[in-house]
Amino acid sequence: MRQTTLSVALEVKPESYDHLSSLLDRLRNRRSTDPSGGEGPFADFLTRVPALHFMSLSVFPGFDYDPLFVIEANFDGARGPFWAQLESAIGPDLRLMLRCCKRPLDNDGPLFDSIVAANARAPIAPYLERRALTPTVYHHGNRGMTRDRILAEHALFEATRVELRCANVDGPNPYRVLSPSQIHAKLRAALLPGFGWLDHSAPKRIPLADNIADWARLIGFVIAAVFALSIPGLILSLIMPTDRYFILLAVAFLGFAAMLGKIGVALPGTGVATRFSFLKLFFQQLLPLVLFVLGYLVIAVAIGTPISMLFTARSFDAAWHGMITWLLWGLACVPVTVAGIVFWLRVLERGDASQDAPPVDPKMLREMARREDWIPQNHMGSIVLIKPGILRMILIRAGHLGLGLVLRIVARQGYLGSMRTIHFAHWAMVNNKSRLMFFSNFDQTWESYLDDFIEKAHAGLTLAWCCGVGFPPTRFLVKDGASHGRQFKEWARHSMSVSRFWYSAYKNLTAEQIERNFRIAIGLRKRTLSDKDAALWINDL
Amino acid sequence: MSALTSRDVLRPGPTGFKAWAQRMVFALMPYFFAFLRRWKPVMKMGKTNYLTSRYDDVREVFATDPVFGVVYKPHLDVIMGDQPFFLGMGDTPEYRHDTDAMRKVVRADDLPLLAARTEAQAEKIVAEAGGRIDVVDTLVRRVTFTMLGDYLGVPDPPGGDLRVWGTRLFEFQFVDQGNDPALRKEVDEIAPALRMHIQNEIARRRIDTGNDDVLARCLALQKAGDAAYSDDFIRTSLMGFIVGGPPQPPMVVPQAMEQLLRRPQVLAEAQAAARADDDARLRGYVFEAMRFDPLAPGLPRVALADWTIGRGTSHATVIPAGAQVLAAFASAMMDPRRVADPKRFDPDRPASDYMHFGFGLHECFGRHINHATLHLMLKPLLRQPNLRRAAGKEGKLRKSGPFAERLVVTYG
Repeated sequence: MRQTTLSVALEVKPESYDHLSSLLDRLRNRRSTDPSGGEGPFADFLTRVPALHFMSLSVFPGFDYDPLFVIEANFDGARGPFWAQLESAIGPDLRLMLRCCKRPLDNDGPLFDSIVAANARAPIAPYLERRALTPTVYHHGNRGMTRDRILAEHALFEATRVELRCANVDGPNPYRVLSPSQIHAKLRAALLPGFGWLDHSAPKRIPLADNIADWARLIGFVIAAVFALSIPGLILSLIMPTDRYFILLAVAFLGFAAMLGKIGVALPGTGVATRFSFLKLFFQQLLPLVLFVLGYLVIAVAIGTPISMLFTARSFDAAWHGMITWLLWGLACVPVTVAGIVFWLRVLERGDASQDAPPVDPKMLREMARREDWIPQNHMGSIVLIKPGILRMILIRAGHLGLGLVLRIVARQGYLGSMRTIHFAHWAMVNNKSRLMFFSNFDQTWESYLDDFIEKAHAGLTLAWCCGVGFPPTRFLVKDGASHGRQFKEWARHSMSVSRFWYSAYKNLTAEQIERNFRIAIGLRKRTLSDKDAALWINDL
Repeated sequence: MSALTSRDVLRPGPTGFKAWAQRMVFALMPYFFAFLRRWKPVMKMGKTNYLTSRYDDVREVFATDPVFGVVYKPHLDVIMGDQPFFLGMGDTPEYRHDTDAMRKVVRADDLPLLAARTEAQAEKIVAEAGGRIDVVDTLVRRVTFTMLGDYLGVPDPPGGDLRVWGTRLFEFQFVDQGNDPALRKEVDEIAPALRMHIQNEIARRRIDTGNDDVLARCLALQKAGDAAYSDDFIRTSLMGFIVGGPPQPPMVVPQAMEQLLRRPQVLAEAQAAARADDDARLRGYVFEAMRFDPLAPGLPRVALADWTIGRGTSHATVIPAGAQVLAAFASAMMDPRRVADPKRFDPDRPASDYMHFGFGLHECFGRHINHATLHLMLKPLLRQPNLRRAAGKEGKLRKSGPFAERLVVTYG
């Protein structure tokens, strides 16, 4: 089943900031009041919002803007049913919170009025649905694992522990003398009565249709990017003689390269040694790049030839030949366009102001610290201003779109780079796309989480966040930036707010443990395993 | 035969073409609702009638009770002899007073006992049926009226049948929109007789306290000097419960059984839950089955003031004061905008996917009793081996208007 990540960001009336914060605290303190909700914190959510994995309600204080109330939710299935379930669980509380928010000045005003008027009883789900933001980038750590499956497979894991520990309390453990495949068979036989679903085949985590769609979107993005980058060449090749066109390209490329050589080095005191190399990346990705370019040519010729025939009344042969020649001339311009953009970007980066000592409200820091590290998971929410300028605007959107599409392909079994500590994370733009919001539900402490990022995924992190005002100095979108560990952490802390209400449906499970449970369950679903496969499988027990 | 001594629980339904047309209307209703949800979520029908079909709008109508009042009072006045009953009231202090008073005697801690009685009674009936049973009358109606009659303290009237009286009054109260004169004639006989019967029981029980039931508790509170529990109040409340309560399970539970029989795999799972004594799981199957054929397409409300349904949305519609609105909860429970994959049979759905008992102020008073007992009426039957439809037509659910009439299954 597809998982959904979204957020709703609503401007708060400044005078209602404290009241809204107290409402959130009150909701948090009212845990486990539903008598039919089982046991444990927020147990009612388990039964009343069965699709939910993680959810947070936060209010960000306003410095440059009015305060912002944010609902962040990560759940299974479609949005509509989720909002209905959430309203059923905490509808009256949410209505009180919405009354602290400002009336939207766009077309949603009447809908807002209908839910916050005195004694209003209209459903709030339509309004929340209307105001929901689509993430610009998101990452699902345990992709394709529904909440029920995660809980069921963890129950299975616990049962394996009991079975292995208690198989023969008074004597030698019978499992010790068995071969790996015999251990598998015995364990499966012992667990099957309590877990009948082991006899059924496992649902696919990523269905074929989703897989195809992920690839199609990425291919579409790359082809569109190649086309966009070749537009200057396509235009110039129409108005310039060929020889002069190529001379212009060569001159421009050499000029940009020379200037980049001059300004591409890190500014004094801002460079961080890194193994990341554009050249290395280029050669690593050369084959897919060539395939993408060939794909671009095929698709563009297929679309362009009939159009050319229509407009110019040329024969098929002439139109086809003319089109491919024109596209190739356009492609020749791509390196020059890229060099020009990189040069422009580098000029901007050199002028960026980074914040060396971002102020952090000590009271808020204490509040954050008070709520962190109670369970193996933690939560963070942050909002930063986006740097101005048209190039930045284009790069942020294209960069986030591309990063998001790449993550759907490469981050499929818990890993993001070499990290496996994130359950759900996403970025979204708020305040008319002038601020960037980030939410993450992760394992371990906030410090170690960011250290992991800095060590293992600093390039991606820098790409996603370098557009933030005050971000540590960056080179070429991905270099340096988050590698300035201490400065980056201070900047991140400065942008965060207290997670006043935070819910996790499986608070004791790390992303790693969920994958481990998954592997154990997959093994136990199989009626038999060879000794070789079983030997690998028992490593997880 | 007088209505008072009749043994025919249901009045003769339409036959021939009219019956066929009625079946067609019910069969096509889900498609009609799907069309409305997509193209005309709030539809005007005639001059002053509206139909809402989307989940959000149906909830809005039910939740906004100060604007959308219940329409039950005129018929309730006939049944109750002009005594007020909270079903016909708005959210007034009197409504709160009366419902609070009844909650003191219809208690949450009775539910385990009611559940046990329901299951035991159903068990006995199934065991005595000899491998062939009509789910509607022999099983569910008998269990419901016996269980609730005992619980309320209202036995069968001398010479009469509480199942007939209650069902006839239910039909008049909730189904008869056309004010059928023949039905009214029967109601004019049955209603005073039932009032008299309950009044006689009140007098009898005042002398002979008997079992601990709702009537006994009311009389104990009356004796203790609680002014709320006048004879009129006790009689009217018990009468309201008899009219509004036990006629419903024989409609909806056989419909749920029919839905299970249509899905062999689901039926097998429900049977497994019944055999494993997993009542919560079994409840999930029965309530989900009810979603595919609920008690009624919708419930009527009357607009007490001008109101815009779906304000701020593209389908916002002004309902003028005085207009009647049918809040189609059957359609709401199938609305994919709010109910995940509504065509899929899923016994693990959250409570918010269901509106079986209405929503808001007038959500069924007996919903907790329904929650505790409905699935248990089928449990002993579902535990039987080789459970299947009887051969021929009687093996398929037959309806007379909105009432389930007959569904015969065999087992063993």
